[in-house]
Amino acid sequence: MKKFRILGLVLVVGLGFSACGKKELPELDFFCGAAVKVPMDEIVANFEKETGVEVNVIYSGSGNLLSQMEITKRGDVYLCGSPDYVIIGEEKGLLVKGTSRRGTYLVPAIITPKGNPKNITCLEDLAKKGVRFGIGNPETVCLGLYCVELLDYNNLLEKVMPNTVVFAKGCASTANLAVLGKVDAILGWRVFKAWNPEEVELIEIPGERIPRLSYNAIAVGSFVKNRRLADKFINYVLSAEGKKIFKKWGYISDEGEAMKFAAEAKIGGCYKLPDKYFRIIGK
Amino acid sequence: MRGIKKFWSEGGWRDKFLLFFFRLIFVLTIAFFAALIISTIIQMQTSSSVGTISKNEIFFAVKLTLITAFSSSALAVLISIPVAYILSRHKFPLKNAVETLLFIPVVTPPVALGAMLLMFFKTPLGEFFESHFFGVVYEVPGLVLAQGVVVFGIAVNVIKMVFNSVGPEYEEIARTLGATKIQAFFKVLLPLSKKGIIAAFFLAFARAIGEFGAGVMLAGATTMKTETLPIAIYLNFSSADVRGACVFTLISLIVSLGTLFLIKEYAENRKPLLQSR
Repeated sequence: MKKFRILGLVLVVGLGFSACGKKELPELDFFCGAAVKVPMDEIVANFEKETGVEVNVIYSGSGNLLSQMEITKRGDVYLCGSPDYVIIGEEKGLLVKGTSRRGTYLVPAIITPKGNPKNITCLEDLAKKGVRFGIGNPETVCLGLYCVELLDYNNLLEKVMPNTVVFAKGCASTANLAVLGKVDAILGWRVFKAWNPEEVELIEIPGERIPRLSYNAIAVGSFVKNRRLADKFINYVLSAEGKKIFKKWGYISDEGEAMKFAAEAKIGGCYKLPDKYFRIIGK
Repeated sequence: MRGIKKFWSEGGWRDKFLLFFFRLIFVLTIAFFAALIISTIIQMQTSSSVGTISKNEIFFAVKLTLITAFSSSALAVLISIPVAYILSRHKFPLKNAVETLLFIPVVTPPVALGAMLLMFFKTPLGEFFESHFFGVVYEVPGLVLAQGVVVFGIAVNVIKMVFNSVGPEYEEIARTLGATKIQAFFKVLLPLSKKGIIAAFFLAFARAIGEFGAGVMLAGATTMKTETLPIAIYLNFSSADVRGACVFTLISLIVSLGTLFLIKEYAENRKPLLQSR
């Protein structure tokens, strides 16, 4: 009996290993910013159905994904929440230079919990006494970085930072701050309203007060195994079909449409946190 | 056939083989953990750094981690003692269900536990607490609470096992000599369980130092405010700073293993003192 048990165990372990072995289908490792997970799940499923390619999607924060790519030396395609991370990725030799393309556009807005309990109407209101304000961690979340830039651009950084009770660890967790209602306002992207239409309210920021718009950048990774396949996938994501899916989920995939919200704003580029930010937080 | 059986019998080659096997597993296990540390050091040296880690930040994270881990595990142990006592010495209806309920912190993923705590503080009861006592959500007490709940699961179960292993006879004898139940608890059960309770504290403390999921949910990842070592590690990975993350990982290892080693040394040196009571 015992011998059979051991034999059984060996068989099970062996089968387990062989299951992890070779696969017939062509594969693609796609390191994707978690902020586009919902539409991306749909796009990836369609791509797999049409081409028979298996896409391994790894969702996480933009910076986290670069760290993972650096450690594992893998990654055919990379998508991040802001072009700042493309610059970091290129500097670290993790992305093929010049392959970065624009996906959807991100426009900042003030987001409050349902009912707007502190009656926030403009950026100045964020500095009012007693307002609890939340942002993404400016050093790690692109949204947080944009937020510091926007506040500084409007000369509000010193006034609003004391009201900032929390930094969220990611883009989606910044949105959750407003959904959970333990802060009175966050600075987020317009798409956050589409994520939780019932739970949050969107307060527009006038276009002339927005210094910069962001976009999801998609690029080829340096460890790409099959360049043609990677290009094919990127083209598919940016195709009319892909854009239609993004639009369905509330994302802005057209530059003209994005510019309607902030005609003067720069698109993309890089912003470095100013020294005064570090002074304020005491780092 | 019989020859093989004799060769492979108890006390013969079989035992020698098994002992060798145990030793091999032991060495491989130690080598595995050593390899983890070595690969972190190698990665740290080969990665390029994006950001700069300030001394302030390191000092802050170490201090905050030690203070919150100590407070949360001390709190968890203090609450666990009466709870474990009732579970170990009393019979009541639905005891099995209650005992299962206390496994929530052990079986629930920390992230979910953190989310449950957040939801609690949205209820009128939670809001009342925050407005009348002190802020918890996105504040340092939130870290202590999150860690405390996670390690409570360890503390209460270990201490319950300790109380169970002592056996009620000693207290019964004390009772026959005129002690009340509470006197028997303080004079007999507690001193006899001291070593086990200290062990529970070690385990809780060690777990609290590494706690990430529940804390980041309830207290956020605010630089220089709720940035413990695990959160600092996460933040560095998130800013694509693998080198910074490795630095914080090694610091975290040194701090946690160092503290545990010191406490262990201290407790072991005091062993005779503990037993003499």
